[in-house]
Amino acid sequence: MVQQQSGAQTDVDGNPVPELPDLSWMDKTLGWGVKARIEPFGGGLTINALNVGVYAEVPEHIPYRNRLPRGAYPAPGAGTIGGYYLQDKYEQWSDHAGLLYEEAISRRWATATDIPWNTAHGLPDDVEVALCQVATELSQQGSVESEVVSGWLQNLSPGYHEVKLYLSTVVYEAARLFEGYRKRAMLNGGGMMLESPGLMNRAVLETYAGWSQTVLGLWAIRGALQHEILRYLAVYGPSEADRELALRLIPDRVRTSAYAVSHIKFAISKKPEISQAFHAWLSGVEVAQARDLRDPVLVEALAVIFGGGVKHMDQGMQIVQRMLHDFVETYLDRCKQAGLPRERMLTPPFQAILDGSAFQQPA
Amino acid sequence: MATETRPEQGQAPVFTSFKEMMEYGKQNGYKMDWLQPRETFGSRLDSDEAAGGLLLQDIDHGPFAQVPDWSDNMTGRPRGALTRPNAPRVGNYSVRTKGDIWLKNAAQLYEEAVQRQWSSAVDVPWDEMEELPEDIERAECQLATFLTEVEFVAGDVPGKWISETTPDYYEPRMFLMSQIMDEARHMDVFRKRAFANGGGLMSQTTNVALSGGAIDSARDFTEMSARLHISGEGLVLSIFRMGERMSYNDAEKAIYRLAASDESRHVAFGVMHLQYLAQTDPERKEEIHSYLDEIEMGLVAGTGGQNPAARGTPSNAALAILLGGGSDAQSIHEGNQIALAVRQRQVKEYVQRVRVAGLGDRFENGRANAALAAYVSA
Ligand SMILES: [Fe+2]
Ligand SMILES: [Fe+2]
Repeated sequence: MVQQQSGAQTDVDGNPVPELPDLSWMDKTLGWGVKARIEPFGGGLTINALNVGVYAEVPEHIPYRNRLPRGAYPAPGAGTIGGYYLQDKYEQWSDHAGLLYEEAISRRWATATDIPWNTAHGLPDDVEVALCQVATELSQQGSVESEVVSGWLQNLSPGYHEVKLYLSTVVYEAARLFEGYRKRAMLNGGGMMLESPGLMNRAVLETYAGWSQTVLGLWAIRGALQHEILRYLAVYGPSEADRELALRLIPDRVRTSAYAVSHIKFAISKKPEISQAFHAWLSGVEVAQARDLRDPVLVEALAVIFGGGVKHMDQGMQIVQRMLHDFVETYLDRCKQAGLPRERMLTPPFQAILDGSAFQQPA
Repeated sequence: MATETRPEQGQAPVFTSFKEMMEYGKQNGYKMDWLQPRETFGSRLDSDEAAGGLLLQDIDHGPFAQVPDWSDNMTGRPRGALTRPNAPRVGNYSVRTKGDIWLKNAAQLYEEAVQRQWSSAVDVPWDEMEELPEDIERAECQLATFLTEVEFVAGDVPGKWISETTPDYYEPRMFLMSQIMDEARHMDVFRKRAFANGGGLMSQTTNVALSGGAIDSARDFTEMSARLHISGEGLVLSIFRMGERMSYNDAEKAIYRLAASDESRHVAFGVMHLQYLAQTDPERKEEIHSYLDEIEMGLVAGTGGQNPAARGTPSNAALAILLGGGSDAQSIHEGNQIALAVRQRQVKEYVQRVRVAGLGDRFENGRANAALAAYVSA
């Protein structure tokens, strides 16, 4: 122990030790005597279970820009940190965020140990290279998603901690998408192939319109495409490892969609006029996504994988067309659930993907 | 999706080279330029379950393993990927000098984080908590309120830096992403503690905002990392490691043990990064020392707000109550004596971390804050 320097009245720095510290904080609480209920059937103590009594209210606006935990007794003079400028509920909230957070936490798995990697050796060379090309694209998408979401965290108010908690799991899962497909690409030395065309990356990185617009670009459009690619890889993946990796990543993607749909729906319920801005934004992002897809690299690589080799690429391309059709349907479905029906507003390039005229079979 | 089936496949040619495959595809109207193997094609990795499976630190070789000293990656492509001349320049990364963020074992730390994920909902035995004396419960809840507030400094700030860092340095980025996940769990578990046993949230700590400000405001990654990983999280780690002594039940013990295991990774990241920088860019050592000068002022004066053991704060009084076992003068006095040992431990561990980072000369040449010596020699 540090020696007292002059009797019991001073501490190590020579400062007097008071008889009793200031205990006035002991009465500073907005609600005392609260006990959160543990979920029956093994669910444990969940984040939503804490929203009880005076702590149940999630306000429409957070009037401070620091890290005051929602419901804590505010310290006078705590001041502003900077950032945290999204202070309104409609800008970020989803009623499902807390649930999605706990759901993400409960699904623990690791690409290192949960994928039967050794089943993915010895594939035909063309299929292997095609897989590495698709893996490069998915890996880059994971990388971009982690940049986008982690960059927004400093702007989202800590008062809506359920959202911040859920988005933290998204960052972690984006990391998993990145490394899962990097590992796959490196497994047989194929490595990273050609980088992404990048127009969708730009669309989601340069979304200064707001977080909700970012959500639409990331998880209504790109997320729908990722979902379909993974769904088809879970069936047509050339090895057990490829199918398993895709299958395991799908629930991560489904949760982002659930957040996106419920958040956009909530935003529109609070500010109905905002849907116009959302539609306008979606039109622009559809065009970016369609331009990316017009680049042949990703679709040709998928056709090689789905067809089982260059020699069956035509058959593979038929499957790719089905996948892209499903993508636009999934996207439309997400928009509809979110309260943004777009069937009649679809931009021509997306309409062309839907009706199959965008990717005509080569003559 | 049971309906997906492959179309019928007829007779097909046999290829002996990529060139033939590409030609065949072109004849059928495809572009095919992308179908060219990289220089490492065919070098196979084996996943050894017993050795932890296929680990990030073992996968890269050839051009994919080459981490540039300076990154000109403006399109956000994965390291080693082939470039497209028409890709938009979306990567306005401010961190693109290797020494600014690199460390030797970031991929290992990431994989370790993945293996050690835990759940605050089910891995803490909440149902084993019993009612505590009112003053103890209030102290628990005050400490929990402090920690739930402070924890996400360490999530939001690294978040900003991830988006500022070129993906050519993906390993430290990956580690920081795992840290965001960990900090979410910390923010969450301490909030849960406040509501788990008949209490509630207590008071915000005024200077948490200020201290967070210093970490938030840092305009250099290494400065941020020194303030966050070495100082802030180091202080918190020392306290978590004393968790046994301030726990009143197995739930609290579990919280501190699990959080300490995460925190030790975060601190290790900071130490290893500083070590890398000190070794590879010694010209920056003076600058780093000047950050440490400020950090030490906070350490001995108890300012800076990241430290729950800092004097004069509600969380410090709460600590004394928890360590002493009550809120009467005698218990608080005893608690304060133990809290002094906590602060002593914080300082000793800080000194050790700075030594490991290769900046320990400050403790020999008189640069370190003189008041540290009182703790170290005690
Ligand atoms: Fe933490
Ligand atoms: Fe931490």
